[in-house]
This record gives sequence, structure tokens and C-alpha cells, in this order.
Amino acid sequence: MSGDGEPSRELLAYGPTAGRNDANPFTTRQLARIDEALTLSSRETGLTFSVYVGELAEPSRATAEGLFGKLATDVDGAVLVAVSPGQRKLQIVTGETSAPRLPNRACALAALGMRAAFSSGDLAGGIVTGLRMLADAAGRP
Amino acid sequence: MRRRGPPECERRARVRYRVDVSVAQTALVFAGIPLAVVAVLALLIFGPSQLRQPNRYRPGKPWTYPPVWYIPRPLPKSGTAPHRAVGAASRPAIESGDQAPTPNPVGGASGEW
Repeated sequence: MSGDGEPSRELLAYGPTAGRNDANPFTTRQLARIDEALTLSSRETGLTFSVYVGELAEPSRATAEGLFGKLATDVDGAVLVAVSPGQRKLQIVTGETSAPRLPNRACALAALGMRAAFSSGDLAGGIVTGLRMLADAAGRP
Repeated sequence: MRRRGPPECERRARVRYRVDVSVAQTALVFAGIPLAVVAVLALLIFGPSQLRQPNRYRPGKPWTYPPVWYIPRPLPKSGTAPHRAVGAASRPAIESGDQAPTPNPVGGASGEW
């Protein structure tokens, strides 16, 4: 974990900005749930989970890995969960620090749980489920 | 017997409502009231969910929101930074640090629904 006191990092939408429904795909309550899941799973495991929701240019895997590269230059033990609701695609990317704790099989299981929630239209619930499953699989440091 | 009464067409024309009702009023009663009832019921059924979840995702619906990128809040220290949303499209969400740990992706999973 890179808690080096670098405040330039962007943070989860939280507080007043969360109320603008037109610009934000989630309601305030959904944002609070995602915020809690992100923060708790990251603190529990010592990894840095990150959630991207938006278009993933084709090929989506390469795009997600590019996003992961941006994330991983700043933080250690990064895990990216990228969801593209428009394309109905999700990508989970682990790096050299996080991959030993999160084997591909655990990621696939989390992806399965997320797909089940997404296909029933529960976007925020699927993200929260995936984060919890990933955190459970990674365990404590 | 038939001859004593008025002719058939004349008798029919004499049948009238006690109150004068125009065509518009008739339409209002027989079409307007059912429509109003249906509208009220629809509002009661679909209104609350529209208010509560104005932007619910449904599979197959196009996604029109700008990309967002969330990372966990850092551990509370003295004077935390202000919270704001990440606009991944407009600017790089994470500024690159001096030392690069290991930006190479190793594993993961992917899926579609």
C-alpha cells in the first residue's frame, strides 16, 4: 500500500458531488455502498482496489490493462475492476504484487458473482459483491 | 292499433336525455374518466421507483454517463484531501509518481453478461 502521504490521488466521489444524479451514474446511497466496500476491502487486504465504470475501447482487455498501468505506477498492490455497462463487459486486472494473493481463479469467481448481479440490473450491488469476494480471496496481509 | 300511435321514426326521435349532454361531455365521461383512473394507477405503481432510482441500469440499455474511476479513500490522517469525483475521460485520474512500482498487469479475469 502506498500511503506515502501523497494527497494528489483522486478519491471516490463522495459528499456533495455525489448528489448530482445527471453526471453520476449512481445514486448517493449506491455511492456510499461502493465507497464503503472499496475502502474496507482495501484496508483489510492491504491491496489497493479500484473501480472503473465506463466505456472500454476495443480491445477491452488491453484498455483495462492500460488503465491498470496508470494506476499501478502510483500505488503498489493495485487491483483494477473495470466495468463497461454499455458493452456488458467487465475486466479484473491484477499486478505483480496483487496476483500472488489473488490468483486468476479467485478473480474469475468474483467476475462470476458480478456478472450474476449485473445481468439482473444491479450495477452497484455487483461491484460491491465483486469487491467483497476479491477481498475475501486475498485475505489479510 | 298501430295507426293510433305516432309513426316509428317519430317515436324514436322523441327519446331524449332529461339533461342536455353534448358529444364532448359524453366522451369525457366514457373515455376521460377511465383514462384518468389508469393514469393514477400507473403513477402509483411506477412513480415511487422513478423517484427513488432515477438512473437505474438495465442490461441492454445504452450507457450515457461519463466514465468514472473510484479508488479507496486513504487512511484518515491530519487534514484529508477534499473528496471529488474522478473524471477519467477529462484528465488522468492518477498522477504518476516518481518511483514506478510495477505497472505490468499479470493476471485477472474477464467476463460478459
